[in-house]
Amino acid sequence: MSEEGHRRTAMSPVEQRVAALEALLTERGLVPEGFIEEITRRYESEIGPMNGAKVVARAWVDPRYKEWLLAEGTAAIAELGFGGPEGDHMVAVENTPAVHNVIVCTLCSCYPWPVLGLPPAWYKDPPYRARMVREPRALLAEMGCRLPGDTEIRVWDSSAEVRYLVLPERPPGTEGMTEAALAGLVTRDSMIGVARL
Amino acid sequence: MSGQLSLQGMDLPRRNGELAFDEPWQATAFALAAAVVDHAYGGDREPFRQQLIKTIAADPGRPYWESWTAALEALTETLPEPPPAS
Repeated sequence: MSEEGHRRTAMSPVEQRVAALEALLTERGLVPEGFIEEITRRYESEIGPMNGAKVVARAWVDPRYKEWLLAEGTAAIAELGFGGPEGDHMVAVENTPAVHNVIVCTLCSCYPWPVLGLPPAWYKDPPYRARMVREPRALLAEMGCRLPGDTEIRVWDSSAEVRYLVLPERPPGTEGMTEAALAGLVTRDSMIGVARL
Repeated sequence: MSGQLSLQGMDLPRRNGELAFDEPWQATAFALAAAVVDHAYGGDREPFRQQLIKTIAADPGRPYWESWTAALEALTETLPEPPPAS
């Protein structure tokens, strides 16, 4: 094989397609210098479930904030500095002993980016997107979240209009903990609703 | 926005989150879509989202970031012509 052939095969077909898109869009002036690096850095290091965890912890320690969060999610979340793409209309849904909430996007992969970052791989896969609507209790159990039979499960289908965030129940025995320590307890999966704390 | 998102003083490990991207090309594809949304559609994410929905529906078993790339390719073909360079 020629040297050029070697070089070509070093890139997978999809990598070649992305490289072609990058060249084309850059040529059309749509990709400013450093834009790709900046976006990537931001989503890898600044935007993620640790943001949602701060929102949840604040709601746990501050009843007025919690009330605001449940009434006006986008504004209450913006108060903590989180907003931007895919976070225009955020709605927080509260877990209680009687009600368990879980989020899904049946059409694609809508997800509350500002508070949870980018969705995990399974969230984007067809089985999760289909089964969470059809048989949420069974799927939750398979994912390790077993709910009492009398717990109502509410499945929220995300869309361009609304992105949901689950407000998990505060675990027992955490009464003396600081807000920052509480935030450390909150997992991504609990804010999607596929786990309890 | 990024200034407000500073996490200084909050020492939260990222055990909650998976790495956002498995391979660099996925990050590039993601950022290119953001570039198109921001700079060709004035921040309107709906054209890309609709294209992504269509593309996923056309081949539901395709890996997610490949669908993403295919959606971006399709949308790129329909972009309005840029104004002539001054």
